[in-house]
Formats: sequence, C-alpha cells, structure tokens
Amino acid sequence: MAEHNAEGSVPALRTDRLGRRYGRMWALRDCTIEVPAGAVAALVGPNGAGKTTLLEMIIGLLEPTEGQVAVFGETSRAGTAQALARVGYVAQDHPLYRDFTVADMFHLGRAMNPRWDQQVAAARVDALGIPLRRKVRHLSGGQRAQVSLTMALAKRAPLLVLDEPVSSLDPVARLEFMRDVMASAADADLTFLISSHVVSELERFCDWLIVLASGHVQLAGPADDLLAVHRLLTVPRAVPDAELPGTAIHRTDSDRHSTVLVRTDPVQLAVQGHAGWQADPVSFEELVMGYLQRPSAATTGNPAPAAQRPAASAKAVTR
Amino acid sequence: MIWVSWRQHRGQAIACLALLAALAVYAVIEGSSMRTAFSNDGLVGTCLARTQGTGCENGVGAFMGEFGSAVNIAFWSVCLIIPGLIGVLVGGSLIARELEYGTWRLAWSQTVPRTRWLAVKLALVTGGLIVLGAAITAVIMWYRAPMDRLTGRLQHNIFDYEGLVPTAYILCAFGFAVLAGLLIRRSIPAMVAAFVPWLAIRLVVEFVLRPRFLAPVTGPMSARCQQPSVGCGSGISSVPQATGHIGDWVLSMNPGNLVTYQPADRFWPFQCIEAGIFVALTATALGATIWLLHRRAAWTALSPAHRARPRAGLRSGRPRGGAVGGDGAVSPRRGRSRWLSRRDESERD
Repeated sequence: MAEHNAEGSVPALRTDRLGRRYGRMWALRDCTIEVPAGAVAALVGPNGAGKTTLLEMIIGLLEPTEGQVAVFGETSRAGTAQALARVGYVAQDHPLYRDFTVADMFHLGRAMNPRWDQQVAAARVDALGIPLRRKVRHLSGGQRAQVSLTMALAKRAPLLVLDEPVSSLDPVARLEFMRDVMASAADADLTFLISSHVVSELERFCDWLIVLASGHVQLAGPADDLLAVHRLLTVPRAVPDAELPGTAIHRTDSDRHSTVLVRTDPVQLAVQGHAGWQADPVSFEELVMGYLQRPSAATTGNPAPAAQRPAASAKAVTR
Repeated sequence: MIWVSWRQHRGQAIACLALLAALAVYAVIEGSSMRTAFSNDGLVGTCLARTQGTGCENGVGAFMGEFGSAVNIAFWSVCLIIPGLIGVLVGGSLIARELEYGTWRLAWSQTVPRTRWLAVKLALVTGGLIVLGAAITAVIMWYRAPMDRLTGRLQHNIFDYEGLVPTAYILCAFGFAVLAGLLIRRSIPAMVAAFVPWLAIRLVVEFVLRPRFLAPVTGPMSARCQQPSVGCGSGISSVPQATGHIGDWVLSMNPGNLVTYQPADRFWPFQCIEAGIFVALTATALGATIWLLHRRAAWTALSPAHRARPRAGLRSGRPRGGAVGGDGAVSPRRGRSRWLSRRDESERD
C-alpha cells in the first residue's frame, strides 16, 4: 500500500486527484498534493477556496467524491478508527465544550483516544499557565487555541492538521501559538499541515507551500525552492509576456512600467534578461498573491466552468 | 465514551431527577389524602367490588367530587404534554448542539467513529429516559391507585399515565428531536419541529386509533342505567360505566339501549399496542439518524463552511520586502532550521 516517493521515504500525506462535489458544484477538484514527513506545510487560499473541504477529507470527517488520501502511505475509509487515529485536528475557531473544565476536556481526550498522552497534555497546559480546573468558557481565545492544540498533540497522531489556527487570535497570541507549533514539530518529529487565508503569518514558520484557489491547487512545493524560481520583473509596459524570461504568472501595469511575477531561473534570467529590466526576489506573500490573482485562478470562481474544467488546465504548477 | 456521554448529559440528568423528586413529593402528599378520603368515604369495603359501585353511590359521589373535578381533569390533560417536553428537551440538543457550536469537528475527529459515538450516546440517554419514564409512571400509578378502582384505567387521561405508554411517549419525542437536530442543526427549532408532529401523532393515536385497536364490543346497557333518574353513562366521572362495570371504556351509547365499549380487561393489550406504535416510531427516527450520520459524509456538508461563499480577497498585513531565500533546494528539515536560526537572531538582538 505504501507509496514511496523519489527519495524513498513515505510522504506524511499524499492526496491523489482528490475531489469533492456538493450537488453540482465542485468545492475541490483534482487535488494532488504531497507533504513530506517532518514538514510544516502551509495551505494558503482565500475564503471558499476549498481549504476546509480538503482538510476535512484528510481527517476523515468528509468522504471524497473522487480520489483518495494516503496518510503515511495508508489509505483507509473516511471516518474509521484507523483513519482517525493517524491525524490530529485543530478545527477552525477551536471548538471545545464550553461547560467542560480543561481537565474534563483531557478526560474526554483520554476516553476517546487509545494513544492519549495525559502527561504531555498536563505538562503543556501547566507550562502555559492554564489552570486545569478552569472552565473552557472562562478561557481567553489564545488559551482555547492552546488547549485545542494540546488535545491534538496528546492524541499522538503523526500528522497534525490545523484549520485556520491563528486567524481568531491577536498578533501576540498568533506568534506564541506558531512558536509552540514549531517547537513541537521539532521535538516530537511531527508533520503539520496548517491552513490560513492570512499569508504573512505563515511565512516565517512554514517550509512547504500549497496554494489553493477556486477548488484547484495553484502551486505546491518546498517554499524556498518556489521562492528561488520566481522573480518580480519590472519592465517597460510595451514588453509582452512572451518576450519575458520565463512564464508570466501575474502582471500589474502602471503608466509606463509593468511589474510581472515570472517563474524563471537564474540561468534563463541571465540569458534572456535585458539590461534595463529589474529583477527582484519575491516575498512569500507576493508569490502567493501572484498565483491567486492569475487569470486561470480567477476565472474558475464560477461553479459551472469549474465543473467542466478539463483536468489538464487545472493541473497546478507543481515541482 | 460512557464518561463523555455522562459528562455531557449530567445537567439534564440532574434536572430530570429534580422533576421526579418534585413529582414524588406531590404524589405522596396528594396520594395520602386521597387514600384517607377513599376509606373515609366508605369505599374500602365490599360494596365497590361486589356491586360495581351501585351500593355506595354516596361515597363514590363524594370521592369523585373531590378528586375527579373538572379542574383536576383539565390539569391532568395539560400535563399530558410533559412526556413530549422531556423527550424534545433531551433529544433536541443531542446532535444539534454539536452542530451549532462546531464541536462536532472536535467530537468526530477523535479516535471514535461518529456512528459509534452516536450509538453509545443514544444507548445511554435512551436507557436513562426509560428509567425516568418508568419511575414517573410508578409514582403516578401509586398516586392514582384509589382513583383507578373507580374509573378503571382504559379511559382518556388515565390510560395515558399508566403502564408502558408514558415511557414510550418520552422516547418517541426524544427520537424525533434527535433526528430533527441532525436535519435542522439548531437545538430550539429542532425541539419545536419534533414536538409538533409528536403531539399530532399522539392525538391521532389517542382519539382515532386507540378506540379501534381491537374491535369494540356492543352490548345492552345495564339495567340500572336504563332508569331515567340515574345519570350513569360514559366518561371519567361515571361510576360505573353504562355497561354496569367499572373500568369499561364506553365509546358510544346507541339507540335501543345498546352501548359500544372496550372491556376493562383490554388494558394491557392496548398498552402494548400503543407503546409498540411509539417505540416503533422511536426506533425508526433513531435508526434514520444513525444512518444519516453515517451517510452524511458522503452526501452533503455538515456546516456552512462547506457551502460556496463569494471569493474574498486575501488578507495580508505584511509590507513588501524582507529577505528571500534563493539558494536552491531546501529540505523541510533545513526549512525549519531556517526559522529557528531566525528566532535565534532576533533573540540576539
């Protein structure tokens, strides 16, 4: 069952042409992604891009219409105990039972997870200064997020899926939360898949990037590789996309100049570049925004064409 | 899972016990005075059993005047909705609350398949409701025992409080509310949506089906009732019934001094039939709930998050610029160390 990738290691997560349809509308289609073991992967996209749909299929809360999910090489039916055991999940808005105490939540975790690690859970909230006997409704947003993360960690699943974990938090709590994620990723050898529609907050923490828009993967791969092969070119407005060194992803025209995000490499840039053109390295955010504003990403926002869209054009720019 | 179910329904269990305790206190106080009146009115001796009430009209009249008054009957009629209320209050929130507060994502992403989660919860809560229903019924039956010796147990307002049916009513309302909760996803609307059909079915069964559970018997009116001066006939306050027997349920009095009725000894068969109807409805509703929850992942979305929303732009607060890694392939491990080293730098600053 286990599929090995080129380097011979089993990826933590692999989805194969995953699709999910609601009625006649595809929320997600042809989604083929791979996250290597040990990565901290960012799943970025606007609201309604299909992020939650993808994550819920990975966890097993939702059954795919087509395609399949393999976690550490194993595929199993959505919602079975085996599938649930392999993935820890922190849902959007950190749902917890409001009238439970933190200790009650952990008791629930212990009752519902055979591999539950009570020591990890207790030590973590202790370190964070969250009293075990406090009711969930009296916790701050940041504390709730931390309790949710603690429950996912104590479940001792090798893959953790975090759906918009920090979007409801203030900047300080965001930073602390992401630092905790990073620390546990390093300590416990875990793989994280973190979704967000706020690009900037993930930049410093993620080493793998997946850009999702309108139900299709636009870009996926190691973040540094992707940054390395993209440049922001400033060229005279008259220069057409075809003359640029590389593939134009997104173009912004001003009066006399155009700023174009291109996928290229240093050699191509050196050979085809022009003396007057300026080539700047791109930031994480410019890269993501460029792909999200790409015409092919924008036009698929309409449900009907999305459903008829041929597979080839939907294929993301993958590694 | 048992602990989880208990923890989530602890409050409801305590409220139900409080309700039961209040009922028991009322029943002991009222039931004791009813028992005292019963013997004071001279109804304890042989006249009632041997003469079907004809030998002790005065005592019957006094007793029924006190305890079978129109006000009392009206009160007990209103109380008939209580099993429905208990059922929908407990059932309405069982799934709907999880959907309302988003906690289903938490509950169903632990290592317990959601159908098992639901099955354990339903089994425990249903068990609790059966115990509660049996206890309430026992208390009411003890309280009503003297009254039942005059009226029998087959008539409206009495049948509905005794034997098996009160528990079956509670379960049916519960089952409807659980199903409505899954479909409507909101507790209060689910409770209303379950209560209305419960009440409708309850009334149809009581007034349309129950008189026909078994073919009614038609026979002559008792000789005593045929005397114009004696006001016997049908209804709770008529002792005995027009058939001349305590406990028969007179459905209609026909021309030619014939009475159509259900004999008193059909109480238990009728209880079994009516409880069977409501238990079957409960089983259908709960079975549908489990099936839907199992299938739900396949056919539709559980939360509005799945529905298409208009495209919203990306939020972003970071100004342009910043260092960009551009040095070829970076493994995930290295990527992390990149972050860690950056943190180290900032700490050094």
